[in-house]
Amino acid sequence: MAFSAKRSSRRGYDVSEELNLRDQGAAMWESWNRPKRVAFAIGVIFLVSLLPLAGNFSITSILNTPITSYQSVLVYPVGMFVLMALGLNIVVGKSGMLDLGYVAFFAIGAYTQGILGTKTGLSTWEILPIGTFLAMLSGLLLGLPTLRLRGDYLAIVTLGFGEIVRLIALNSRATGGPNGITGIPNPTPLFGQRFTLDNPKAYFWIVLVMILLVIWMIRRLSVRRPGRAWEAIRQDEDVASLMGVPTLKYKLWSFSIGASIGGAAGVLYASKIMVIAPDMFTLNVSILILACVVFGGMGNIWGVVLGATLLAYLPERIRFITDARQLVFGLTLVVVMNVRPDGLLPRKKREKIAAKDKE
Amino acid sequence: MKFGGVTALNAVNLHVNKGEICALIGPNGAGKTTVFNVITGVYTPTEGEILFNGANVIGKKRHHITGLGIARTFQNVRLFGEMTSLENVLTASDVHKKSGLVGALFGTPRARREERASRERAHELLEFMEIGHRSDQLGKNLPYGDQRRLEIARALGTEPQIILLDEPAAGFNPAEKVALAKTIQKIRDRGYTVLLIEHDMSLIMGISDRVVVLDFGQKIADASPKEVQNDPNVIAAYLGAPSDAS
Repeated sequence: MAFSAKRSSRRGYDVSEELNLRDQGAAMWESWNRPKRVAFAIGVIFLVSLLPLAGNFSITSILNTPITSYQSVLVYPVGMFVLMALGLNIVVGKSGMLDLGYVAFFAIGAYTQGILGTKTGLSTWEILPIGTFLAMLSGLLLGLPTLRLRGDYLAIVTLGFGEIVRLIALNSRATGGPNGITGIPNPTPLFGQRFTLDNPKAYFWIVLVMILLVIWMIRRLSVRRPGRAWEAIRQDEDVASLMGVPTLKYKLWSFSIGASIGGAAGVLYASKIMVIAPDMFTLNVSILILACVVFGGMGNIWGVVLGATLLAYLPERIRFITDARQLVFGLTLVVVMNVRPDGLLPRKKREKIAAKDKE
Repeated sequence: MKFGGVTALNAVNLHVNKGEICALIGPNGAGKTTVFNVITGVYTPTEGEILFNGANVIGKKRHHITGLGIARTFQNVRLFGEMTSLENVLTASDVHKKSGLVGALFGTPRARREERASRERAHELLEFMEIGHRSDQLGKNLPYGDQRRLEIARALGTEPQIILLDEPAAGFNPAEKVALAKTIQKIRDRGYTVLLIEHDMSLIMGISDRVVVLDFGQKIADASPKEVQNDPNVIAAYLGAPSDAS
């Protein structure tokens, strides 16, 4: 009896140590000095930036998606989902506000590109900051009256906002109603890369740059005052306010930063796909992005990146099984969330790492 | 202070002098914690005023009141459990920072300077509360006594002038209570004013300069510990008559 109990406990310990990639990775990172970290980061970025070419080589061609173009899949959904999931993660994962209408900001960005791109001579690169700003502004305007609400109530209000934006797009003349907007111009060439339908890797690299920017921003903010304020608000908003955290201000920041990332994604998406219509911006998209965040691990950047990549890529990879696709997708979600309820790579436990750092 | 038809605090006139340890005692439900909640802006009183350094704080936002120099702890420990001890204190000390989001994003000189200063201060406060060795542990993983100490360290992190302690000795054994009494005196000696809710009479009698007794939302006594102990009203309402056997 005693022997078996000892065995099983030892085994449990070993297994958790092996599976604990998150802590191991973080500990490895902490143990490195700056040049080593920079070299590693550059190496990873370089490898990721080569992803669009992976389909051409026999070893890596397993990544190729049947039916849909592999390089296009890397841009949408994969790149876009990662970008949006990172944005939503600031709101849901970092500050603990459940936003079910995130697609609204994506739509605002996309329609900004759609309208300005077809009606004015502005290029996508000029519209990008405008769309980002408009999404941020709408996040601010929505947040000001509603961020006093918490939990389920906030979720319902944001859900309503997502629908309102879609219905406005559906019924307004400026947005082309149910037909949407067609003939949206592609971005103008940048660094010798043409942004055309037959060159999706240029879009991928741009999305990659945006993702890296967002990751840099989140990492910066996380270890300083804003990150702490968000974390405090997520854990106990009342205590946070009593400890001097201007809760409404930081909730607004969180909400509008998240919104602006969604907006930026929307601008680029509209410019790539050239046609937008209201039925691309349904509640489903909001839910799917939220699923990416929860699936990967709320609050952890790398978890969210992994979750969004998998959830965006897998349905395309298994497209050949047609009808069973959604079933497999759903089953994967259910099974993974049962096995790892906190997501694939949960929020890191800084305790261990911090302790290691000290040694 | 009224909640619907219930009057929780009625004409309580409480005055705390700078640099003293003032104890607030009374039976359960007397309104002690409500006093704290009214002072820190959790509730807005239906009538009356709260003057802090001569300025009325009623209607001010909670984080403004904290910024003015009023900090508190909670009857049930309410730490940020998934933050380390250091981060708990840092979060509180952010209240006096001038740099915000932009400073943090671009690492402006002022933001870096402030961050460094507050880290030093936070470490110093943890040492002061004798939990310096816990700085990298998550709040929820701390032993109970250290959680209570961390709550005080976090409150001190806001650089208060007055600190409101809500039953800091709850759940402590006698030895821990003695240590806590020393700590509270140390806090006072550092120049903070202390307003203390406590049920442990020996602790209160040992360290307070003044004792205020509440009963059913009314102040029934406000005097030195000695006088309060012998006050017939207080004995009837709270302390209870000394039995013949003892």
